[in-house]
Amino acid sequence: MGLDIIVGIKWVPNTTSVNIDEKTGTLIRTGVPSIINPHDMDALELALKMKDRYGGTVTVITMAPPHAKMGLEHAIGMGADKAILISDKVFAGADTLATSYTLAKTIEKIGRYDLIVMGQETIDSSTAHIGAQLASWLNIPYVYYVIEAEYLRSSHKLKVKRLMEDAYEIYEVNLPALISAAMHSQHPRRVSLKNKLRTKLENPIEWWSNGVLKLNPNCIGLKGSPTIVKKIEFMPKVERKREICPEKDPVKAAEWLVRKLMDEGLLKL
Amino acid sequence: MSGICPEWEKIDPSEYKGIWVYMQVERDGIHEASLQMLSIARMLAEKKKTHVAGVLIGYNVKKYAKEPIYHGADEVYVVDDKRLEQYYAKVYAHVLVELAKRYKPEAILVGATMKGREFAPYVANSLRTGITADCTSFDVDPNTGDIVQIRPPFGAWMLAHIKTPNRRPVMSTARPNVFNVPPRDEKRKGKVIIEKIDELPDPGIKLIKRIPIERKEEIPIEKAEILVSGGKGLGSKEGFKILEELAKEIGGTISGSRKAVDAGWIPHEKQVGQTGKTVKPSIYFAIGISGAAQHIFGIREAKRVVCINIDPDAPIFENADYGIIGDYKKVVPALVEVIRKLRKRAT
Repeated sequence: MGLDIIVGIKWVPNTTSVNIDEKTGTLIRTGVPSIINPHDMDALELALKMKDRYGGTVTVITMAPPHAKMGLEHAIGMGADKAILISDKVFAGADTLATSYTLAKTIEKIGRYDLIVMGQETIDSSTAHIGAQLASWLNIPYVYYVIEAEYLRSSHKLKVKRLMEDAYEIYEVNLPALISAAMHSQHPRRVSLKNKLRTKLENPIEWWSNGVLKLNPNCIGLKGSPTIVKKIEFMPKVERKREICPEKDPVKAAEWLVRKLMDEGLLKL
Repeated sequence: MSGICPEWEKIDPSEYKGIWVYMQVERDGIHEASLQMLSIARMLAEKKKTHVAGVLIGYNVKKYAKEPIYHGADEVYVVDDKRLEQYYAKVYAHVLVELAKRYKPEAILVGATMKGREFAPYVANSLRTGITADCTSFDVDPNTGDIVQIRPPFGAWMLAHIKTPNRRPVMSTARPNVFNVPPRDEKRKGKVIIEKIDELPDPGIKLIKRIPIERKEEIPIEKAEILVSGGKGLGSKEGFKILEELAKEIGGTISGSRKAVDAGWIPHEKQVGQTGKTVKPSIYFAIGISGAAQHIFGIREAKRVVCINIDPDAPIFENADYGIIGDYKKVVPALVEVIRKLRKRAT
């Protein structure tokens, strides 16, 4: 028997391509494509690698608006077996507590699993909360920042390696468990044509609304969220001098710059 | 449907008092990021007219109990237990959760170190309370007395003001090196409270081996006085060698943009910007960095920003004090030369 793995992903606006309207100071969101959170691609790759090596299944879950189906199709294209889109208006406005609760209940409904793999954090809100919160709801062991994972079949445990600020650490982990994959730790594979065809032929993506999950409305969405965003303010722009060097010659330009920095006492000889 | 989630215990927020700071202990003592949280805790406590407490969890940690007091805490809770010799997030979280249930603090602050980011959400979830990550400032609402947690979400142009009005404790993590450690004063007095936790959970994981990394004695970028930073415009990893020459000459530290990290040219810990680190050098050299808003966010507190870029339309010029339009492969070595010459003349 192999490993049944669940991977949680987030469908995020590609913040690197979001621009600001200079006149109004607001975000230009129109035309900004959403993508699978890049750090979740590390999680997906780690899970797929384990499936390649030890057999089993990979199920991808996400809580998102309906258009996140595109992201799930991409995950199936990479080799995931199945995906669940948790989507319903009542889930909207959830903070990390309500989100993790909804995901935990989804995982309980899926039932059997050996391992949950999450990304280290997202590029849009960067909280890194959901992994630990899921582990708390499900009362399972968890380890963040994993760079390598090996399945010890005889003891049905995982051996993981993680990288901290000052050391590598190797742990044995009882299953079922949750791990988060360290960002940039994997090289996510490309979508294959064969797998992509599956999304068309086999319908491997399920849509779970709250009609399916039947969660108490007080525990989900805005109502199930203890934190409230009271105000969003734009940060004042830092005013810089914006002096451009008039010199074309590199040495003269360098002299110009060194003079400026020395005059301000910032550069000392 | 009205009422609250049945998963949540009913609480009375007015029973919760005091600002707690979790003290992460490493081999050489309390982590600086934890001591930095004391300056936020002090500010909040003054405004709310309440006290500040440190929480120390581990084995042989009692010896550090006075440190949080010297740096501004009024009391320190200590759980010193052989069973806590090895740090496991789940076990340490359980201890903090039990203490919070006993003493009902209004807020718990945790430094957003790697361990802090792993541990704090488990604590918050166990208490069924909200948590706000990576705060960069805090305040108290003068009307309601609510703690306001301020963080940059969704890109780098905005600050969200977040409250946890009905659940306690309010939990936040805050970025390391944004706040200063309050000055140490050995004359400060405070109470040390020794606590015991009878039952500890099984972490379900076991540390088999720890392999320390020989990191070069480098200054972390968030503490560097001069940063020489490279981006996609360098074109290759080798480009950083040219930057290193300059860094060596002026006592600078190397850093880079997200694109340089994504390309694998420099490690993630050297990334400047919203998804990397906030830096505050006196001079920041942005070389071959176009200047995405996320990057500009990370250098807000730099005293002077210098940019060298071949593209005169790059947004970095709008966000720099001194800009040079040109090929860095020529300008940077010229800078090194000019500084060397001036130095020779000076001696």
